[in-house]
Amino acid sequence: MLQLANPLNASPLIFPMIECFHIAGFVMAIGTCALIDFRLLNLAMAHQTSAQITKDTGPWTLAGLILVICSGLLIYSTDPDMYYLNLPFLLKMGFLVLAIVFHYTVLRKVALSSEPPGKSKLAACVSLALWVAVVFGGIFIGFTSPNLSF
Amino acid sequence: MLLWLARWAENTEFFTYIRASAYTYPVILSLHMVAIALFGAMILLTDVRLLGWAMRSCSVSDVVDQLRVPKRIGFLFAATCGVLLLGSKAEDYYYNIFFRIKVTLFMLVIVHALVFRKSVYSRAAALDRDPQIPGRAKLAAVLSLILWVSIFSAGRGIGFILAPGGLHYGVP
Repeated sequence: MLQLANPLNASPLIFPMIECFHIAGFVMAIGTCALIDFRLLNLAMAHQTSAQITKDTGPWTLAGLILVICSGLLIYSTDPDMYYLNLPFLLKMGFLVLAIVFHYTVLRKVALSSEPPGKSKLAACVSLALWVAVVFGGIFIGFTSPNLSF
Repeated sequence: MLLWLARWAENTEFFTYIRASAYTYPVILSLHMVAIALFGAMILLTDVRLLGWAMRSCSVSDVVDQLRVPKRIGFLFAATCGVLLLGSKAEDYYYNIFFRIKVTLFMLVIVHALVFRKSVYSRAAALDRDPQIPGRAKLAAVLSLILWVSIFSAGRGIGFILAPGGLHYGVP
């Protein structure tokens, strides 16, 4: 069987370097999403409307998501079997899909319109909780032994 | 002296608990990363606004002044978690080259603040009246971005040295 070595595994330095791009990407993506959430909760940027912040940060959120997903795929490729069997990784992927879908559907709709505050605050809390869950999942990947079964 | 302090700190009951508990350390690390996401985005948006690359519909002072408090809260949150992580493995950190780089970079952040706070960050309202954002403000923003990207990269490097045979690199 043809065995192709992943060039990313050629040097032990490449992995942490890709992770730096991964960090830059999630700071851009999650941080800007969180700012919209904080605006909806009236905790930041009171002079601007949530719609204005959503439009202004939109390209940065998208660029961050592209960077974080591309670097994430490279990270995944270094050891796919380990990730595939890793419970925190699987949970993280689930929360990530939920967080992105929620951000571009419910949260976006709420942030761009002027919905009643109760509803928009609930949406902001759900969004924040989903993103926090994604980060926790990411960290716990590295702290879970592949042999450990839950 | 610092080494003595590091050994003393990591052997206190509190930091021994953090180190020994299976879940406490990764939970604090996760919170550290959450805080970095918040804090990092505030830094990024402040700096890209000064550069005129984003947030153009807000005035400079709207961005700089309104993000100041959340930015500081985010930093305190990240720093608190960071100290807890450091204390639990203080002696390893003392010898860790990336940790030393990170501490040096934090000192440069203080220098950056001493140089630019008065002329840029504290006079955001005056920047609004300028027809163009002055070069000094743009320089401050570029240096700030470089510093913080270096800091989180050094932070990633710390973990790389602390656990070179970590789970990412195959089952031990």
